[in-house]
Amino acid sequence: MPMRYRFFPMSGPLFVACLLALLGGMAHAQRVTLRIEGPLTASAEYIAGQRDKPAVLILHGFLQTNEFPTVRQLIRHLADAGYTVLAPTLSLNITNRKQSLPCEAIHTHGMPDAAREIGLWVDWLKKRRGPIVLLGHSFGTVQLLTYHEAHPDPAIQKLIGISLVEGGPYKSDSARRDRLVRELRRQAEQPKPTLANHPVSFCKNYRSTARGLLSYLEWTPERVLESINTSRLPMAFIMGSGDERLDQGWIQRLQTTSAKTHVIQGASHFMDGQHEFDMLDSLLSELNDKNGPATTK
Amino acid sequence: MGQPQQNKLPKVSYLSIVYNVLIGLLLLLFAFYNWRQIELTSQSLYEREALLGKQEAVEAINTVAKRILAIEKSLSEWDESRQQLMYRQFYPLWRDQRVRSAGLVPETINDIALYDRNGRILAPSGNKEPMPDNMPRQGGTLYVNEGGHIHMYSFFPIFAESGGGQLLGYGGLAFDLVDQLRMDRQYRYLDLSTIRMQVPSGTLVDRDSLIKSLSFELLPNPNLDKMRSAYQVSFIQLSVVFLLVQVVSAWLLQRYFTRPLRELSEEIDSLRDLENQEDNYCRIKPLPIRELEELRQSFYDYHNRLLDLNQNLERSSQNFYDQARRDPMTGVFNRRAYDEDWHSLDDANKIEQCSLILFDCDHFKAINDSYGHHVGDSVIKSLASILQSTLRGEDRLYRLGGDEFATVLARNDADNAEAIAARCLEQVLSHDFQQFGVIEPVTISIGIAHGNPGVALGDLQKQADIAMYAAKRPTSRKIEVFGERLNEVSPLLTNKSISAIYQTIQDPFLMEMHYQPVIDLKTREPAYVEALTRIKIDGEIIRPNEIFPVVQARRVDAEFDQAVIQAVQRDLEFKRIPEHLGVSINVSAVGLLSSKVTDMLVYLKLAYPEIKMVVEITETALIDQIEQATLHIHKLREAGCLVALDDFGSGYSSLRYLASMPVDLVKFDISMMRLLEKGDVRQKEVIREVARLVTNAGYKMVAEGIETHVMLEQVVGLGFDYAQGFLFEPALNTA
Repeated sequence: MPMRYRFFPMSGPLFVACLLALLGGMAHAQRVTLRIEGPLTASAEYIAGQRDKPAVLILHGFLQTNEFPTVRQLIRHLADAGYTVLAPTLSLNITNRKQSLPCEAIHTHGMPDAAREIGLWVDWLKKRRGPIVLLGHSFGTVQLLTYHEAHPDPAIQKLIGISLVEGGPYKSDSARRDRLVRELRRQAEQPKPTLANHPVSFCKNYRSTARGLLSYLEWTPERVLESINTSRLPMAFIMGSGDERLDQGWIQRLQTTSAKTHVIQGASHFMDGQHEFDMLDSLLSELNDKNGPATTK
Repeated sequence: MGQPQQNKLPKVSYLSIVYNVLIGLLLLLFAFYNWRQIELTSQSLYEREALLGKQEAVEAINTVAKRILAIEKSLSEWDESRQQLMYRQFYPLWRDQRVRSAGLVPETINDIALYDRNGRILAPSGNKEPMPDNMPRQGGTLYVNEGGHIHMYSFFPIFAESGGGQLLGYGGLAFDLVDQLRMDRQYRYLDLSTIRMQVPSGTLVDRDSLIKSLSFELLPNPNLDKMRSAYQVSFIQLSVVFLLVQVVSAWLLQRYFTRPLRELSEEIDSLRDLENQEDNYCRIKPLPIRELEELRQSFYDYHNRLLDLNQNLERSSQNFYDQARRDPMTGVFNRRAYDEDWHSLDDANKIEQCSLILFDCDHFKAINDSYGHHVGDSVIKSLASILQSTLRGEDRLYRLGGDEFATVLARNDADNAEAIAARCLEQVLSHDFQQFGVIEPVTISIGIAHGNPGVALGDLQKQADIAMYAAKRPTSRKIEVFGERLNEVSPLLTNKSISAIYQTIQDPFLMEMHYQPVIDLKTREPAYVEALTRIKIDGEIIRPNEIFPVVQARRVDAEFDQAVIQAVQRDLEFKRIPEHLGVSINVSAVGLLSSKVTDMLVYLKLAYPEIKMVVEITETALIDQIEQATLHIHKLREAGCLVALDDFGSGYSSLRYLASMPVDLVKFDISMMRLLEKGDVRQKEVIREVARLVTNAGYKMVAEGIETHVMLEQVVGLGFDYAQGFLFEPALNTA
């Protein structure tokens, strides 16, 4: 129409070229469903990035999904930065789970289940892209540590943890934790599964099978630090100084490990607000630093 | 309009009642109609409420269904639902606690269950109203009537992925429909406690069947009830107002229209029977409506004007009536009044009790002709005045025509009638008629007839007529009462006799003449004959004493004289009179004044010059027209006739006539002749002196009625020249 040509006075060939360039630059997100075991399936969001950049497997926090806002920010930014992104949602023994699982739900999953699923996703991912950088948020980083410790894979190039938590419940009361562990082990040996109700992570009333709860109880802060320190995989952690979910001194303890620790001043556990960009800068710097097991004090 | 038609017209009171009844019926109809409209409107509103209630129920059920559908969607997409279908070891905990605490289902839910892909429940619950162990084949949302409650079961599939994928099993929810309906809203029409489903207990139906079989009651609608009540109260109040208005209107109609109109009508009706409307009018109080009162006033004014007009008309009518029945000249009643009164008496059968008196002035025609009509009229007026004043106050005087008067005495009293007649005659005779210039005495003849059983009106009149004619005879005493004595002459005075006289006048040959000889006293031989008139009809002879009263009464004197002359001429022609004798012909005073009569006498004398012809003038008929009479007498004498003054001494002014008129003979009346025989000395001396006077005056004298020789000698001694009477011979009959 004459008027539109008047406002967009580009020629025809120039317009077509711009459209193709735009389409080529856009990352294409895919929903990927993966059979875990039996009828149990899990899904992930996969965005293929540039081949000269590592594929990033982003794992959500405890009982969350890849729809968690912090995860969504990571997916978007990394995809925008040209990284291949795979963001699975752990099934937590719920087929094709899409919703975050409340603390009050009946939890039948455990750390081995999460590690196995992570392994399946790593296998799926390395068939398509590599090398792989594991990127976890909150307790997801602990689950990535669990996976890496149990199934070290050379395709894994680096592990980056954002707002890494100390581990399971009763982290500061070892005696009580020990009694709980014994009790849970006794329950786990019963032929009929039973449910135990104890605090886990940020859940104060976490109802879970004894076996599942035991697997989480194994990951104490010390166990986390040990896993970091004993691992040969380059690791880096991005922490917020304003993260109130963490115990006092946790960041400092992390900084004592071999992993590089970025502290975003004032950032909360979810790296929101203006701290999102600081976190992103740190993340991108770590992704660009392929060999950098260095610690920033 | 006649009375029957008037009676058929409705009365205003009836119309008023009909009007009020009709208005009442209309009000009742109006009330019934409006009450019915209120009921219909209320019923329509209630039906609309029922419809709205139904719509409200359907909408609420649909809302519940949508909400249940949302719950189903949430549950089917809930990760933990899929979790329980795959790992059932904690299903009871999930069913009894977890799913309720998750907030996905309302607290009002009765039960919840998961079914495997075959529709078998994962684990039965111990709920009072549990979900069925096996899911119904039709699935979806079903409703069941259980113990008066409507339970709703909703079944939905659960897939591995949202919207499809592998079927993992089914979810099931159980609700109480009323509880669910109560959750959504406040209901305007629907009474939730009355909701029932009209299907057998335990039967599962879908939503459409539920709606069809749904029954419920409406919530009370205070506004609608209040509105209906308000309408009804308003309507009742309006009806009461209408009723009061109707009652007041009826009272006003009765008070100010119907009753005044009826009173006005009754007043008008009463006027028919009341003679004095003014008094009645004054007693009536004013009507309450000004227009009606004005109407009544106008009516009474009109009525009074009508009364005045009617009275004027009556007076005028009475005047006309009186004028039509009064003689304009005398003021007494006329012939019409006479006839009407007689008919009234005849109709009342009072003829038998009445007496009829007829008055007739003697020689009135001669007076009229002699002195003129104005004198005649004065005489008639005086006679009427005399008779009227003489009669009794209640007696009416009628002028039947000319000089004839009559009166009717209602009571049959012969003595009174004759006394009244005598008094009338006396008053007439004593009246001074000379004031009108009439020198001769004016007399009247009176005939009286008394009613008697069986007498008819015509008979009484005829009898009085006969008596009056009889009274006119010279020998009569002027008052005659019809009786046996007059029966002899009465036939002659019948209509038949009168008709014969008229026939004779028309045909003189019917007259049978008698000739009485008049003797010359010197020779004692007949000198001439006097023609005496007879009428013979149907074998009966009518004599002069019956003829001349009729002739005088009928005033045909001149005509009769002509007939006599013609009869004498006939007898002369037929030699019925001896040729050597003369003939004397009686001529009335009227005839003497008639040129025709005198001409006929002159012609007769000229026709028979050798015949001695004497014209006798009846003295009693002479009048004041002496110049005319003298002229005719000269004419007769010049023709050769002798003129004789007849009945000298029986009249009133014989000496005056004798001195005034040039007659040849003086014929003394028979009454004077009888005085010579039977009178006293003085009377006889008067006769002798009169005879001497006449003789000395140069007249020849004739004595009539000589019946004896003594009388003959006396008249001879007195110097009479001629004499006649039965002494000599009766009259010759020429028939």
